[in-house]
Amino acid sequence: MTIKTLANILLAFLVICSTAACDMLESHPYDTRVTGETGINAKNIQRIESLLKGRESFRFAVISDTQRWYDATVDAVNSIRDRQDIDFVLHGGDQSDFGVTKEFLWMRDIMNRLDVPYVCAIGNHDCLGTGRDVFRTVYGDTNFAFTAGDMRFICLNTNALEYDYSEPVPDFNFMTAQLDKMQQDSLTRCAFLMHAAPQTDVFNNNVAKVFQHYLHMFPGLQFCMHGHTHALTVKDIFDDGILYYQCPNIDKRIYLVFTINEEGYDYEAVEF
Amino acid sequence: MTMKQWNFKFLALLVILLAGPVYGQQTEIPAGQTEADTLKTPFMYRYDRRLERYKRRFNSLIPQTNVLQMYGDMGLVSVGIGWDYGKREQWETNLLLGFIPKYNSDKMRLSFTLKQNYTPWSFSVSDVVSIEPLITGMYLNTVFGHQFWTHEPDRYPQGYYGFSTRVRIHLFLGQSVTLSIPPERRFFAKAVSAFYEVSTCDLYVVSAFTNSYLKPHDYLRLSFGLRFKIL
Repeated sequence: MTIKTLANILLAFLVICSTAACDMLESHPYDTRVTGETGINAKNIQRIESLLKGRESFRFAVISDTQRWYDATVDAVNSIRDRQDIDFVLHGGDQSDFGVTKEFLWMRDIMNRLDVPYVCAIGNHDCLGTGRDVFRTVYGDTNFAFTAGDMRFICLNTNALEYDYSEPVPDFNFMTAQLDKMQQDSLTRCAFLMHAAPQTDVFNNNVAKVFQHYLHMFPGLQFCMHGHTHALTVKDIFDDGILYYQCPNIDKRIYLVFTINEEGYDYEAVEF
Repeated sequence: MTMKQWNFKFLALLVILLAGPVYGQQTEIPAGQTEADTLKTPFMYRYDRRLERYKRRFNSLIPQTNVLQMYGDMGLVSVGIGWDYGKREQWETNLLLGFIPKYNSDKMRLSFTLKQNYTPWSFSVSDVVSIEPLITGMYLNTVFGHQFWTHEPDRYPQGYYGFSTRVRIHLFLGQSVTLSIPPERRFFAKAVSAFYEVSTCDLYVVSAFTNSYLKPHDYLRLSFGLRFKIL
């Protein structure tokens, strides 16, 4: 074996390395190394707010619990894209199954096939290992809100079981600030998105009723949306008129569509 | 408490890694004797014989190889020691300490790997170069940090997630080329192998299994490194 042959082998190796193999170089499944787009929620919130400014009717889709169902998520995204009547998409959390870094990137790349903006709430599976760090990098804060037309969308981290009192979940200070924001911007209606609904296993059920009490303070509360238990459900959890719509996991091949108009809203579960 | 645990594990690892060279030192010559004396005196006390056995036993634990490996889901860089055994030294066991950079998390992390290699063939190309067309095996990797658990903490209902975030099982296939260094030019090692491996781990296998969306470059990992044969 001459030096030349060795050099050729090395060169071939470097060529392989520079193409697809770059994805194959990884320090650890939980290494939190993020390539590609970051800060997605903030960017897409800007897009939603400017697209829907001044509108009183619009339509959005909800998908949730897409963990480890990449093929089904691709089909859902294609179905939503093909219908051309959706203004934005909400993801109810659990993009990852294990909290592994690459899971977030794979899911992000699928969601980026949408031609409308989308935002993602954090699910309990997204918190595993270093998942919450990756979620923060790729999507942003775990509590966030935006205004679509004349309606405030408040998206909350409700995965208390994963946080062990290290930060307030749900964050009542964040909710109070949103209440102030709505008054300031004279917004008259709102909706909530969370991964786990009150009275589920990961919610801090010590404050479930307090949480509901807070919801009643919000002007024009239309409904709450959530995922987590992988079923299509519509429940008045506290028998007080506030409806919780659950979007099933993506493997059930169903997404929800909400049509908002001046009078109120329509709801539809769409099979794909 | 977690910090204390972590420190303890780190220290334990250092002890394991440093133990080799310490035990590797040559037998000491008793005070008042020269090396020649020990050679020509066949008489030994019972204790000396026991001591000889004791040292021989620990000498056999001296690692025969040092390994430097990059990527492969065990660290950006991993350093380790190894023992090869079997008729043709076709088996090798490695212990590796890996360094995972901080990237988007709060701190740099360490990981520990127990690796078993099997090299069925080695073909000589020339006096100094040989090629191993197949290296295969598996490794167990554990990552340190309070976020990771082997068993789910008590706060979860039993079997809630049903997997460990801390321990990964990997399978790999690889190849290597080995350069033996002539005795007069040896400094650090008597042979150096350059190798690469393609691996995957349990979580990637279960993800790929049910999704045609995931392609080989999504669930396969590449790593490469150098193996120094010292003994």
